Amino acid sequence: MLTVISAGSVYLVNEARRDSKWVIHTIEVENQINTLLLEVRRAESSARGFLLTLGPDFQSDHEKAVAAIIPALDKLTRQIGDNPAQRESIEKLSAAIETRLGQFSREMNYVKQGQPDMAAALIREAAADDSTTTINNLANAMIREEERLFRIRTSNSDRSQTLAASMTGIGSGLVVLLALISVWLVRRSAGARDDAEIRLRDANLNLEATIDERTADLREANDEIQRFAYIVSHDLRSPLVNIMGFTSELEELGKDIFRRIGELAGVPAGGPPVDVADIPLDGPDKQLSADFSEALGFIKSSIARMDRLISAILSLTREGRREFRPEKINTRDFVGTIVSSVAHQAAEAQAEIHIEPLPNIVSDRLALEQIFSNLIDNAIKYLRSGVPGEIRIRGRTKLGYAIFEISDNGRGIDPKDHQRIFDLFRRAGTQDKPGQGIGLAHVRALVRRLGGTMSVSSELNAGSTFMITLPINWNASNRNADK
Amino acid sequence: MTLPVTIIMIEDDEGHARLIERNIRRSGVNNEIVSFANGTEAMKHLFGADGSGLVQKGNALLILLDLNLPDMSGIDILRQIKENKYLKASPVVVLTTTDDSQEIKRCYELGCNVYITKPVNYENFANAIRQLGLFFSVIQVPPAT
Repeated sequence: MLTVISAGSVYLVNEARRDSKWVIHTIEVENQINTLLLEVRRAESSARGFLLTLGPDFQSDHEKAVAAIIPALDKLTRQIGDNPAQRESIEKLSAAIETRLGQFSREMNYVKQGQPDMAAALIREAAADDSTTTINNLANAMIREEERLFRIRTSNSDRSQTLAASMTGIGSGLVVLLALISVWLVRRSAGARDDAEIRLRDANLNLEATIDERTADLREANDEIQRFAYIVSHDLRSPLVNIMGFTSELEELGKDIFRRIGELAGVPAGGPPVDVADIPLDGPDKQLSADFSEALGFIKSSIARMDRLISAILSLTREGRREFRPEKINTRDFVGTIVSSVAHQAAEAQAEIHIEPLPNIVSDRLALEQIFSNLIDNAIKYLRSGVPGEIRIRGRTKLGYAIFEISDNGRGIDPKDHQRIFDLFRRAGTQDKPGQGIGLAHVRALVRRLGGTMSVSSELNAGSTFMITLPINWNASNRNADK
Repeated sequence: MTLPVTIIMIEDDEGHARLIERNIRRSGVNNEIVSFANGTEAMKHLFGADGSGLVQKGNALLILLDLNLPDMSGIDILRQIKENKYLKASPVVVLTTTDDSQEIKRCYELGCNVYITKPVNYENFANAIRQLGLFFSVIQVPPAT
């Protein structure tokens, strides 16, 4: 748009300049015609002066004038070369001037030869054939023509200048308008941006508030769960003590009853019986005591199992309440100590434990000990029978985190069980080893509380690798502050 | 025991009460055991209808107290016993499931004489009660003055 306007005004300004050049040209042509006429008159008047006075001054003046006529005529011819009408007139004009010049030279010759009468006659003849008048008429015609052109060209020039001026005016107006529009647009978009910024800030604040709220909710829920677990396990323990206690009482009672039966049946009693089933009895009585003993056995083993589970929950909740104290740990020595404490089990399982260089970290010693000893215990516990075990503990650092890997060549874990093994009371694979399904759940809870993550990669019969990622510089405050 | 000491057992769980009694008996303690399943009744017995404790004057008492009672807190009972001029000399054994260190500290500050956490598994529980019984059989208990 602006380009079009500026191109237009440049074009119009050029046009105006060309027009004014033409105007100037016309004026010049007029001037030139007048100059020519002046020279012709001067030549004529000096020739007459010479004729009357015979003064050399007039002669030289006449010669100068005659000499100036031809160049002036030539110049005029060049200047009006563009105009065919004027060219025609100038041809006539130059013919007339040539005739007059011829008359002049003849006049001058007569005067020089001392025949002024002849010259005077010639002048009369020239006056008679009106060559001077012709010249004048032609010149005047040309001047009129030029004046006409001058008028046309002046109006042309005026028009184009007006056009250029108005074009420039319109252009300037457009520029101002465009500037105003741009300013308005910029202000509008700035306003929109400000609005958006304000909304964004509000949204951020809201988000933060929401996050805080949710975090508080989660923390509350977590605390509630902890309290719940604690209370439940605590309160479950009371009746369990009764069940255990009275089962033992019942067992004692059973011994007494069956001993009495034995005595009544006349079977000689041995020493004090250790178990109901050991009391010497006959036939159906023997069967009864065996059934009694079996029932009690189931009850007791179930109670013992339940007791272990409840104790595990209790210790987990207690662990969840414990405050961590971060300290600098020489991880390699630390793991070395744990490994030497399980050396006996490792030897029994024909397992070798290799500790590779490990990065030192700042963390809670007790939690870390539980994590490593659980994982190493597991590695030893679930080796393949008949295959010498090889357990490796590796470590490396990455972006402020220490990554530890405990890998074994044991029985491995089916990928579908990878999530399950971290659940409380869940186990996977062949159930031939004692355990409650607590270890890994506990380890993962600890790793999370230490600000880390853990994962497993394993295939059945191809060993397992447990990977723990912990912050190298764990800061208790950001965690305990949550509590 | 030189005086006929009465053991007052305040324990809401009747099963526990029974087991405690049996295990105390097994350790050879034959003193009278008076058992209460809630705080209100126990308070009535200890402090009498007027609530002064005068009713127990001259009796040698040993109080076995559980902290988690349905109607009132064992800690309140402990405080009132230790603030009562007749009863304050009677030894109080707190026998409860809580092992919270704050709770333990508070009980001793209030004047509890022994604090025992009920062991989780029965073997240990029975063992602890039997040892408590042995302890009962050797300690001296002053009569309420």
